[in-house]
Amino acid sequence: MIEIKDLHKSYKMGSNSLHVLKGINFKVEDGELVAIMGSSGSGKSTLLNILGMLDGADSGEYTLDGVPIKNLSETKAAQYRNKFLGFIFQSFNLINYKSALENVALPLYYQKVPRKERQEKAMQYLEKVGLKPWAHHLPSELSGGQKQRVAIARAMAAEPKVLLADEPTGALDSKTSYEVMDLIQQINDEGNTILVVTHEEDIAHMCKRIVHLKDGVIVEDKKIEQVRAGQYV
Amino acid sequence: MFDRDVWQEIFNTIKTNKLRTFLTGFSVGWAIFILVMLLASVNGMQNGFLGQFNDDATNTIFIRPGTTSKAYGGFEAGRRIQLKNEDLEYVKKSFADDIEYLSSRYYANVTARYKSETGSYNVQATHPDHQAIEKTLIMSGRYFNEADLINKAKVVVIGRKVAEDLFKKEDPLGKFVELNNLSFRVIGVFTDDGDDNAERGIYAPVTTYQRIYGNTNNINVIALTYNPTYDLAKALEFSGKLEDVMKRRHKIDPEDQAGLYVWNYAEAFDNISSFTAVLRGIGIGVGFLILVAGIVGIGNIMVFTIKERTKEIGVRKALGARPRQIINLVLLESIFITALSGFIGLLFAWMILVAVGPMFQTPAFSNPSVNASTVITATIILIVAGVLAGLIPAMKAANVKPIVALSDK
Repeated sequence: MIEIKDLHKSYKMGSNSLHVLKGINFKVEDGELVAIMGSSGSGKSTLLNILGMLDGADSGEYTLDGVPIKNLSETKAAQYRNKFLGFIFQSFNLINYKSALENVALPLYYQKVPRKERQEKAMQYLEKVGLKPWAHHLPSELSGGQKQRVAIARAMAAEPKVLLADEPTGALDSKTSYEVMDLIQQINDEGNTILVVTHEEDIAHMCKRIVHLKDGVIVEDKKIEQVRAGQYV
Repeated sequence: MFDRDVWQEIFNTIKTNKLRTFLTGFSVGWAIFILVMLLASVNGMQNGFLGQFNDDATNTIFIRPGTTSKAYGGFEAGRRIQLKNEDLEYVKKSFADDIEYLSSRYYANVTARYKSETGSYNVQATHPDHQAIEKTLIMSGRYFNEADLINKAKVVVIGRKVAEDLFKKEDPLGKFVELNNLSFRVIGVFTDDGDDNAERGIYAPVTTYQRIYGNTNNINVIALTYNPTYDLAKALEFSGKLEDVMKRRHKIDPEDQAGLYVWNYAEAFDNISSFTAVLRGIGIGVGFLILVAGIVGIGNIMVFTIKERTKEIGVRKALGARPRQIINLVLLESIFITALSGFIGLLFAWMILVAVGPMFQTPAFSNPSVNASTVITATIILIVAGVLAGLIPAMKAANVKPIVALSDK
C-alpha cells in the first residue's frame, strides 16, 4: 500500500539546515495498523506530513497504492488527498459552524457527490461511529471523544486507501482515548490501512506494528501482539 | 459555485463578524451613495440646461443674413445679404420633407399706445407657423392664421407684459392698439415660459408689416423646425445642406462664415451633451476614487477573515479542497458583501432622490434622478470592485499551506 525508499527531508532554519528525515525506508501492507512512535523532534510528524502529501520530500521515493507521489501540483495533491487519504488530527479540526453531519459530508463535497447522496453517506458513517443522534449538533455541543469520532467518520467518508491519525488521542483522557482506539481497531478489522502517530506506549500497543523513529531514522520496526482497547471500555 | 454550502459559509462568516462586516460594507455603500448622488446631480444639471431651451422647440434652425467677408462669384467682400420672401419659398420647396414648421421674421421697433399709456416694443412679424417654432403659449384669444396673413390683416398678438403695461386692468382682446400711429386689433395675449423679456414682444402677420414698410418683400430671419424624427447626426447634416444651398443662392463663398448664419439648436444640444458628459466623467471619477477606499476596506476585512480561518482552510485542503474552490469561496464572499452594501447605498440614494429630487426646479438644476444606465454602471462597478477586493485575499487563501495551518502551535 505504502512504500518509501530513502526518504530525506530537511528544513531551513535561518542559515542552518535541519536534517529531519535521514533516509527512511518503510513499507506498509494493505490492512495494517501501524503506530509511529518517537520523541518530539524525532521526525514522526514530518513523516506523516509527507505521507499525507501535505509536505514534499527532498529526495527519495514515495509510492501510494502503486501511484508515485512526486512533484504534485496543488490541484493534483488535493485530488490525491481526497481520493487516497483520510486525516484524523489531535485537535479534531472540525469546522465549528457546520453540524456533525455536514463535517462528515465535507470530503464528499470535494468529490462532487450530489448533496442528497452526500448526506445519506455521511449519516451512515455517523451511525457507524455511534453518533447518529448527534448528527445535527454543532461541534461545540459535543464532548472531546464525540468530536474525535466525528473526525474519524469524516476521515472515512471519502473511503480512502489509508487513514492517517496524528496523535488522535492526544487531547483526550484515557477512557475516551480507549474508546477512540477501540473504534480505530474496529475500522482496521474491516480491512482499512491505518497509520497512527503517537508518543503514548499504551496507544501504540493497541496497534499491530510499532515503528520507532529517532533523530530521523527508523531505529526499531516490530510486529506486536495487539492489545484490544475494547476490554478497557 | 452557487450551491448551498458556499452560501452557508458566506453567511456564517458575515454572521460571526457582524460589526466588522457592517463597517466595511458601509464604506462601499457610502461610496456608491456618493457616486449615484453625483451622477444624479449631473443629470439634474443637464435637465436644468435643457429646460432653458424648452422654451423654444428643440429642433429649431435659424437662418440669419450677414455681411460677406470674402470676395466670391464676382462680388466684392463686404456685401450685405438680404433675405426675401422668395428665399422662404425656395427653402419650403427645396426641403419639403425635412421641414416641420417654417416661418419668416421681420423685425420692427414700434411705439405702442392705448389711451394714455404708451411704450416702446419690438414687433416680430411672422407666419402662423412661428407659434409652433417659438412655442408661444396663448393665454387668451388666438394666434393669427393663414387668412390673416393673406388678408394682410392689421391684427396683433401681444405679450402678457405688454397687456399689463398698456391695458392695465382692461381686457385687451378686441381692443385697438396704436403701433406707430397705425391701429391694430388685439386678437390674442401670449405668455412665454422662457423669460419676462419675451412677454414684452408683439407678434403680427409678416405680410401686414411688409406692406406697411413700403411694400417690401425683405425678411430678417428664416426660422424653421426640422422633422422631429431626425437624430443629431441627421439634423446636423440637414442644417449643413441648408447652409450650402442658401450660400449658393446668395453667391456667398462656402467658406465665408460671416455671410450667412445657419444656427442649429442641435449643435447647442451637442455642446451641452459633451459638457454634461465631461461632468458625468468627473462624477464617476470622484465616485470611483471614493469607492477605491471601500474596496481597500473590503480587501482588508477579507485578509483578516482569511487569517482567522487559516486553520479551516488548511483542514479543507487536507480534505481535498482544490485551490480554485478556495479562491471561489473567498471571491464570492467578497462580491457578496460588496454588492449587498453597494445596493443598499444605491437604494438609499434612490429613495432620497425620489423624495427630494422633484423639489429642485431651478433653471440650472432640476429633478436630479438616476436612470437605468446609472444603475447598470453601478452594478458592474460593484462586481468588479468585489472581485478586486477579494482577489489578493483569495490568492493568499489558496496559498495557505495545510501543514502550516494544521500545526497545533
